[in-house]
Amino acid sequence: MGLIDHRFADNIITTNLDSVLAWARKNSLWPMGFGLACCAIEMIAAGGSRFDIARFGSEVFRASPRQADLMIVAGTVTKKMAPVLRRLYDQMAEPKWVISMGSCSNAGGPFPTYSVLQGVDKVVPVDVYVSGCPPRPEALFYGIMRLQDKIRKENTTFRKERAIRLGGTEPILVEDRG
Amino acid sequence: MFTDFLRSIFLVDLAKGLWLTLKYTPQPAFTFQYPSERRPVAPRFRGVLRLQIEPGTGAQTCIVCDQCAKACPDDLIALGGHREAGLKIKVLDYFDFNLSRCSFCGLCSEVCPTKPVRALIMSEDYELGSYSRDEQIMRVDDMYDGVAIEPYTH
Repeated sequence: MGLIDHRFADNIITTNLDSVLAWARKNSLWPMGFGLACCAIEMIAAGGSRFDIARFGSEVFRASPRQADLMIVAGTVTKKMAPVLRRLYDQMAEPKWVISMGSCSNAGGPFPTYSVLQGVDKVVPVDVYVSGCPPRPEALFYGIMRLQDKIRKENTTFRKERAIRLGGTEPILVEDRG
Repeated sequence: MFTDFLRSIFLVDLAKGLWLTLKYTPQPAFTFQYPSERRPVAPRFRGVLRLQIEPGTGAQTCIVCDQCAKACPDDLIALGGHREAGLKIKVLDYFDFNLSRCSFCGLCSEVCPTKPVRALIMSEDYELGSYSRDEQIMRVDDMYDGVAIEPYTH
């Protein structure tokens, strides 16, 4: 929506337009399957007839980033793969969202090594993190539903800039508790 | 040759394929409707880590022995407590669990020595999704068993 992005204040036309756009967007999220490791198997299972991701309007796993709205990063992102992932994200057309699926892409998982990216949010802005190792297909659906909730509340005129996480991303477990 | 011609004229192969489709049509749907219907998990399924309280009294079962924190291969657990006069066990002050890196191996709950109620269990909750990395740190209040994850039903 390049025509109205950041041009007008919130008014009745844009907010009503927003609700229509959000409804359309959230019910036809075409994912780009970025299957990198074992999480990809669960993602494929989610696409199968038993779980059937088509019930959420996301059954069309596109092989091309130009046709996709949603990037499901499923699996361990190595530092060699990270630039490719960023390039594919840049090639996706706006509006676009990212789901980080599984512990490896959330935070590096059990690989705190030199070769593994410690969290995919260092290269692309992540909307929903789905925890699990790997997450069940239902857990992926839960993540998709949370993302749909987020899209429903999105505002076109004031679309928030999403930022990647720089610096230390490992959260601090024991803080100073006085 | 002639039979092949007849087959292609009368679309025999197409009819065969459609008959196969038709045969499967009256079967009940194989799909299970996830948000409204929740499939039971396997008996030894390892979901998210939870703390248990004593069922009758609601007393704390964790004895703050720190074994789970030592067993965790990724150092995701940090807990601490203090002694109180008249109590046999330490009182749990904080129990932080970094869900983001957890690989659900279950070593923490395996080493938990508390009996008969095991303080640390791998529960059957798998609906884990968050909007930020900071939400994935579970504090002690999020850890108690039976903390409801709001289900989506629409």
